[in-house]
Amino acid sequence: MAYFVVRRTLQSFLTVLGVVTVTFFLVRMAGDPAVLLLPVEASDEEIARLRTALGLDQSWIVQYLKFLANALTGDFGVSLRQRTSALGLVLDRVPATLELALSAFVLGMVLAFGIGLAVRLSRSRKLRTIIMWIALARQAIPVFSFGLILILIFSVWLRWLPSLGRGGIEHLVLPALTLATYELALYLRLFNASLAVEQRQDYVRTAYSKGQGRTKVILFHMLPNALLPLVTVAGINLGLLLGGTVVTETVFSWPGVGRLIVQSVSQRDYPVIIAGVFIISLIFVMVNLIVDVIYGFLDPRVRVA
Amino acid sequence: MIGKLTVSTTISLLLLFGVLVLVVLVPLLPGYDPYTQNLMSGLLPPGEVSPEGQMYLLGSDALGRDALSRLALAGRISLFIGLSAVLLSLVVGVFVGLIAGFFRGWIENVIMGIADLQLSIPRVLLLIAVAAILGTGVLKLAIVLGLTSWVVYGRVARAMALSLREREFVLSATTQGATAAWNIRKHLLPNVVPQMLIVGSYELGQIVVLEAALSYLGLGVQPPLPSWGLMVSEGQTYLELDPWLSVLPSITLFMLVAGVQILSQSFTAENDMSAEIVKAQ
Repeated sequence: MAYFVVRRTLQSFLTVLGVVTVTFFLVRMAGDPAVLLLPVEASDEEIARLRTALGLDQSWIVQYLKFLANALTGDFGVSLRQRTSALGLVLDRVPATLELALSAFVLGMVLAFGIGLAVRLSRSRKLRTIIMWIALARQAIPVFSFGLILILIFSVWLRWLPSLGRGGIEHLVLPALTLATYELALYLRLFNASLAVEQRQDYVRTAYSKGQGRTKVILFHMLPNALLPLVTVAGINLGLLLGGTVVTETVFSWPGVGRLIVQSVSQRDYPVIIAGVFIISLIFVMVNLIVDVIYGFLDPRVRVA
Repeated sequence: MIGKLTVSTTISLLLLFGVLVLVVLVPLLPGYDPYTQNLMSGLLPPGEVSPEGQMYLLGSDALGRDALSRLALAGRISLFIGLSAVLLSLVVGVFVGLIAGFFRGWIENVIMGIADLQLSIPRVLLLIAVAAILGTGVLKLAIVLGLTSWVVYGRVARAMALSLREREFVLSATTQGATAAWNIRKHLLPNVVPQMLIVGSYELGQIVVLEAALSYLGLGVQPPLPSWGLMVSEGQTYLELDPWLSVLPSITLFMLVAGVQILSQSFTAENDMSAEIVKAQ
């Protein structure tokens, strides 16, 4: 087990290193930072002086290693607009994004378990079909469209909830619902599928033949086994969820990392973009690591693979 | 089961037929004009007649442009981007995946390492970063979306190549002196293409949504060209005055994505977990 944890941690570290490398080359492809930093009317001499000061006249290898060293100490350069640390700007926005992503994740899981289990226990084929059709339809609506429809209904027509900004719980409801239901469709379908798989297993037949009631078999025999695939896919889907926060934050003017990145793109503020992509990828990789380790504890077969 | 399948297939075909009519037939109508502005008749709801006595079937936007015409042109642009991106990513993914699965060794490690790395950056974010640096535009968007979407095909193609390379027809060809290139072209490729087209049909929906999301964020198709995502974003400002501006492109997006999704789902078995997990990525 210790070996497994160490190996997965090393893998995650390598992934983060890879992300930093990709971002470095993206920055270099974006153009000369010296030109971007200085006003348009700057002379060639001024640009050359700044290039020397920034170390841009050195070879790519040296620049790359320096970038790596700086990135390791959390230095992603200075925001071209705000003139403060790019990473600092991003970190200020992290709590808002985590708040949104976590509540959407929890809400999605609770809804998926609740609805999925209720449908399975009710035995109604019709209900199941209807729920699955609704879930399928929801999945076909893009995040921004669904968010706007929620705003239209609950903010514009009913005037129950605010449509933008961050604040109390009433601000969180619509964005979290937007993100959670996108995942919900996927989870419901998966949960349904994995329950169907478990239903055909020998141990279920054995439990029934011993006279166990249907509710008991589902809750105590099938459910624990049906949960494992869900945990994995929830981990894999975290990228989808974090990507979804970018769009959702923009729809609801939620002051998170995603919205900062989108705004920085239109302002061509590259250091902030890079720091933002790095932070979100870091969160993604870390959570995947945690999910994998938990999974390793739950299912010994994973450690060998 | 067969009855249910037919119902869902019929629904998906109807949805896709609606999109097809919009995209193919609407531009042939005599009143088709997605660009001309008319500030006198801005923000008309569907079916309203303008002060000049002109009828806008689906209303007009803030600049008085005909919403139906713009929806149709946007659909053409979205489908063009979606189809070319799917084609590009399919070709790249299959090529790279088959090479990884056939040769194995360090080539496989490098290719799959890149795939894992790419999956560790959320797709929308990667697209935003690349679009920010390469710039926007219809053709660039198709290329960027295509080049960042190869991983699904690459993984499936590699997995299939791993088992195909051990099959008798490949082994016997190799013993008779067939080169790797010949084997990949004649024996592996024909076997993976049907599966790839299924993945591609599902991906088309995903790519159109990604394009719409990028355009919604202002990083995709640029005005005055329309895109469904861009139209939703333009309409958001007038949500209270004229909700149709955002709702109509949302409906067309839904029709296309739902149609593609249901159709591709009827290709794959409902309980196929591996397919679900592949899709989830």
